[in-house]
Amino acid sequence: MAAEEDGGEFYLRYYVGHKGKFGHEFLEFEFRPDGKLRYANNSNYKNDTMIRKEVFLTPAVLKECRRIISESEIMKEDDNNWPEPDRVGRQELEIVMGNEHISFTTSKIGSLVDVQSSKDPEGLRIFYYLVQDLKCFVFSLISLHFKIKPI
Amino acid sequence: MASAEEAVDYEPEDDDLMDEDAAGDTSPQAPMPKLKSAITGGASTSLSGPKKTKGRGFRDDDADRHSRLASRDFESLGADGGPGPQRSIEGWIILVIGVHEEAQEDDLHNAFGEFGEIKNLHLNLDRRTGFVKGYALIEYEKFEEAKNAISAMDGAELLTQTMNVDWAFSNGPSTGAFKRKNMRSGRTHRSRSPRRRY
Repeated sequence: MAAEEDGGEFYLRYYVGHKGKFGHEFLEFEFRPDGKLRYANNSNYKNDTMIRKEVFLTPAVLKECRRIISESEIMKEDDNNWPEPDRVGRQELEIVMGNEHISFTTSKIGSLVDVQSSKDPEGLRIFYYLVQDLKCFVFSLISLHFKIKPI
Repeated sequence: MASAEEAVDYEPEDDDLMDEDAAGDTSPQAPMPKLKSAITGGASTSLSGPKKTKGRGFRDDDADRHSRLASRDFESLGADGGPGPQRSIEGWIILVIGVHEEAQEDDLHNAFGEFGEIKNLHLNLDRRTGFVKGYALIEYEKFEEAKNAISAMDGAELLTQTMNVDWAFSNGPSTGAFKRKNMRSGRTHRSRSPRRRY
């Protein structure tokens, strides 16, 4: 069962990171059209090294990811009034769904206060919560697949 | 003859056997899409038709972006032969969707516990509303237990809402092109040609 059958292409990439004392610290994950989920987490804090994992997801998982995205209505938003990435950090969200392709960049968001005080609180709020929901989903998938339970 | 096989065998990451340097992918072998995104490998060739684009990300070009996810060194659990669901580190994981927003972990334990001991359960909440997001991930130790749970519960109801249940992880791409990996499993370990010496 090809992923494309479920209503067109699907691709998602999220990045959050900054460059500083501990190198380029970032979290990034990518849902590819062929179903592969790639996850990377990098920091040189205490000389730590990059974590990179990948696994193939079934069409069911991709379908659920698409549902989360369409329910958020992020595809209707635009980042032109969102704060620009800065020295503190940057976030990138790129999604291809059907015939739409969005590629948003913004600074890190500390809390709802940052959202509320921005020039587009409605749109940024959607982004803020979607990112949290996606992280939850990805962290669950990656930790369940790769992490051994202690004891 | 070799080139014909290569053509059939094309898989984006395996394309450049000469390139052992994981960081060297900023000069891409795979065609870079005209839109400045990090879609690597064959994905760009499958984008059909023009897309409506939106966002600042198309303006900023970040060479970093292309190389970060292009590296080959991503760990994965090996596939033990053939297409189909993939075993996770200590068991088999299934995805349940259509979970009612007021469902609790106990409801899932009651519905899914009869197929085997539930080793792990993730029932994530919607970060904005606090209700259940709509999916659950359940781990069973044995393949049979997970398989039975899928057969029995796919299409079943929980709190009057229909759920669908399936495997979460698979051995190969969803497009079904994975078969090649089995036939040519030794390919990625082919050694480099010796360097020319002048």
